[in-house]
Amino acid sequence: MTVVLFLSVFLIAACGLIYELIAGTLASYLLGDSVLQFSTIIGSYLFAMGIGSWLSRFIDRALVSRFITIELMVGLLGGFSSTILFLAFAYTTGFRVLLYSLVLAIGILVGLEIPLLMRILKERFGFKELVANVLTFDYLGALGASLLFPLLLVPKLGLVRSAILFGLINAGVALWSTFLFRRHLPSPLIQRAACAAVVLVLAGGMAVADHITDTADSALYADEVILAKTTPYQRIVLTKWKQDYRLYLNSHLQFSSRDEYRYHETLVHPGLASVAGARRALVLGGGDGLAVREMLKYPGLESITLVDLDPEMTRQFSTHPLLLELNAAALKNAKVHIVNADAFPWLERDNGVYDFVVVDFPDPNNYSLGKLYTTAFYRLLRHHVAENGAVVVQSTSPMFARKSFWCINETLKQAGFKTFPYHAYVPSFGEWGYVLGTRRDWQPPTALPTGLRFLTAGNVRSLFDFPPDLAPVPAEPNRLNDQTLVRYYDQEWREIVR
Amino acid sequence: MPTRREFGATALAGLTAKADRKLEGAFVFEAPGQGVEAGHRLRDHARFAAPARRVRIPAVIVGGGVAGLSAAWHFDRRGFRDFVLLELEQQAGGNARSGENAVSAYPWAAHYLPVPDKRQPLVHELCRELGLLHDDGTWDERWLCHSPQERLFIHGRWQEGIEPLVGLTKADAAQYAHFEERIAGFRLSGAFRIPMEAGLAQNTAAHRALDGVTMGEWMRREGLYSPYLKWFIDYSTRDDYGTRAADISAWAGLHYFAARAPEEKGPLTWPEGNGWIVKRLLAKLGRYVRTGAMVHRIQRQRRGWLVFTGDTVYEADFVVYAAPTHFASWLIDPPPPRWPIDSAPWLTANLTLDRWPANHGVEFCWDNVIYNSPSLGYVIATHQNLNTRQDKTVWTYYWALADGRAADQRRILLGGDWNWWKEKILTDLERAHPDIRRCVSRLDIFRIGHAMPRPVPGAIFHPERIARARHQGSLVYANCDLSALSLFEEAQYRGVSAADYVLRNASSTATR
Repeated sequence: MTVVLFLSVFLIAACGLIYELIAGTLASYLLGDSVLQFSTIIGSYLFAMGIGSWLSRFIDRALVSRFITIELMVGLLGGFSSTILFLAFAYTTGFRVLLYSLVLAIGILVGLEIPLLMRILKERFGFKELVANVLTFDYLGALGASLLFPLLLVPKLGLVRSAILFGLINAGVALWSTFLFRRHLPSPLIQRAACAAVVLVLAGGMAVADHITDTADSALYADEVILAKTTPYQRIVLTKWKQDYRLYLNSHLQFSSRDEYRYHETLVHPGLASVAGARRALVLGGGDGLAVREMLKYPGLESITLVDLDPEMTRQFSTHPLLLELNAAALKNAKVHIVNADAFPWLERDNGVYDFVVVDFPDPNNYSLGKLYTTAFYRLLRHHVAENGAVVVQSTSPMFARKSFWCINETLKQAGFKTFPYHAYVPSFGEWGYVLGTRRDWQPPTALPTGLRFLTAGNVRSLFDFPPDLAPVPAEPNRLNDQTLVRYYDQEWREIVR
Repeated sequence: MPTRREFGATALAGLTAKADRKLEGAFVFEAPGQGVEAGHRLRDHARFAAPARRVRIPAVIVGGGVAGLSAAWHFDRRGFRDFVLLELEQQAGGNARSGENAVSAYPWAAHYLPVPDKRQPLVHELCRELGLLHDDGTWDERWLCHSPQERLFIHGRWQEGIEPLVGLTKADAAQYAHFEERIAGFRLSGAFRIPMEAGLAQNTAAHRALDGVTMGEWMRREGLYSPYLKWFIDYSTRDDYGTRAADISAWAGLHYFAARAPEEKGPLTWPEGNGWIVKRLLAKLGRYVRTGAMVHRIQRQRRGWLVFTGDTVYEADFVVYAAPTHFASWLIDPPPPRWPIDSAPWLTANLTLDRWPANHGVEFCWDNVIYNSPSLGYVIATHQNLNTRQDKTVWTYYWALADGRAADQRRILLGGDWNWWKEKILTDLERAHPDIRRCVSRLDIFRIGHAMPRPVPGAIFHPERIARARHQGSLVYANCDLSALSLFEEAQYRGVSAADYVLRNASSTATR
């Protein structure tokens, strides 16, 4: 009997410490600065326990039933503490307020436990023995919890389930107390029913724990996440909202399925339709296969080489059913050869000559990507373009990054291309720009493949017309040793994004 | 199953050893018969075996650094092929030597060449030959240092450029401006040129007087006391000349800033640093080069010289002496006067990183410097790669041991074992990269006791320096020590002008 009583002390002490550790860990994960987080959490928690101990003086009657109620409250609140905090982080802006309120609430309840229990037990033991035993088991529980938490709980169970597990232990202690102290309870059945309800709720929480973290992740994107992969190169996330699929690479929108045809038709057809008898084509970047889908509308093309850095990207777009639907299984076509390589060194090694080249890299928002927009890169590219061939370069927005757009145009010129800049409106991106480069004089195509949704033989010519607000501005070419483009781009987008 | 005692021992070991990753590495170029050991055998007049072979040859170049190779380059392009170049080490290149591992090639010392201005025809000619300078006058973009070029870790974060910009007061900025203005004036005077010999005639008494004081003294006289400017100037003189601003001749310190036109883009750089140039020179000139050939005596004959090395003695009409000039008094018989210019000890290290440390703010640059660090920071050997992604990398870390007397610093350099230096290096890097220990898998160290001349006051206009730089007789000096400024351009100029002197005199001997 005695052992069982003190085991309860051990367990509730362990639970109390676990909630404190969970709050501290979560706060340092989510807010950073672990020293600050742990210090303030431990401080607030101990302070709250002090308040609890002080409040215990105002509880005069029905000690056992109060104790059981408090245990159940701690179990619920503590058990769901990490769930509440994860969700608060994802959905609200008041994470800190909630964090400290929760820490105070749990602390106060935990602070009430031991004084109440000691008062319940004081009839059975002498004061000296009671204090010694209760405090011994209290501290032992703390030791057990502090070892268990980093070694077993966090790595094996994770924060959400660990909290719930200890919530269950609190509820278990409550239930057990209804038997231990049944003499003090006028109607133990009601208490037992309450315990059972709490255990059920917590067990239910345990079952759906996995969904909780997923939900928190998807809350960072507005829509349902249907695919999320972290590769050595990037984080690939595909979201869905009704019939709109959106691809994000490192949180940058790559396309929306509702209007990507505008982007990709405009990327491919003005150039490719103008190269009579094109047989060999090259796509640099564009692992989503959407540009390739457009290129396969030319039966005369015999081979398309696609060079994309990330094998996971081309793998997903050649196997995932939803993605296959988007790119019409373009990457599985026998004419398509996929190469997973870094484009610049690959092009240095390659000795192919192509009739049409699509250069579809992410925007030049850092110096590594900026290399792929330099005179050095375009000069190398020129050696791979057939005499009457063409290249097209996705060139960011002439509206939002006007100088960057004209910088890419200037860079291609410096590398020896004749350039023909053009633009189109893609709702999810805004006004978007492209630069076509050729080795000889060039005229827009007069005929396009059938079945296009945006471009017609009639409207292609109008893409090359720039209204005054998009008209050329002077810009320095982008060279490896002086990446002006990265600076322009950074400056221009900083003015827009707040 | 471990016994209890074993278990206890492991637990204790776990308490003492830090849980860092295993780090491999060694000192390089220190095998027996190489580097320091070989040099000290010469100094101590060790006995050498008598040579078995006697070879008659019109000219011998002693020393295969940039000066010696440039002399060979000049001989070769003038159609003169009857010479050998003798190099003590297993690898020619001197301060432009390089190494290579699975991740990247990397330099062991000199790692860049400033884009030469129009007044440096020799460097232009070499660059044209190496394909760095195109016929239309543009520089090859591939080997101009890519963006971003330089950054400085100051007040806990990285800023662009290595001239401190963070935390400057108005007074600091005014001092920067004053300094710039003075430098612009010195630049216009034409007294500071590369090669330095080209500007000496323009030196007025006031310019010559600058060689009588230290850079620190000159700054005091100019009222330049901004801590940021002082750091920047001190960093620059340590970086190029291995000497503190407080110790360097003001003339040499100002030469660093005033000798180059400011508008040029650059510099030119390669993964293996100037080793890239050396490799190309060796591809062309390798047939003249004998490595592992330690010259231990150069003896004057009635006509010409005997050059003793290993099993061969060369009977030469002319010797181009391109080895470190302070060796000359131990090698040459009869010995020339003692060389008066001391040399600076350096340490370079190449760190192979399995992964990059966490980085915030300014992206990794080619040159990465830490404010108020005793070292000179690190250069990223993989910076000129064209990949958009580079998982592993090699960093070349530089440290000029410029505090106090050079001899004391050499004792420290050679006294510390690999572990001691490894700790010094990682602790220094930890200021800017707290997680560096988790990234480095290999750390190799090159200790260079006599890396370059130390241009302290009086060195530039020292009569012995001027006399030694003037070619006469049939042994001519060619090391860049003669300029007291360790620069690629100086070494090339010294080598070429010595070779040119030999060609002029050899032809006059031949016609006679």
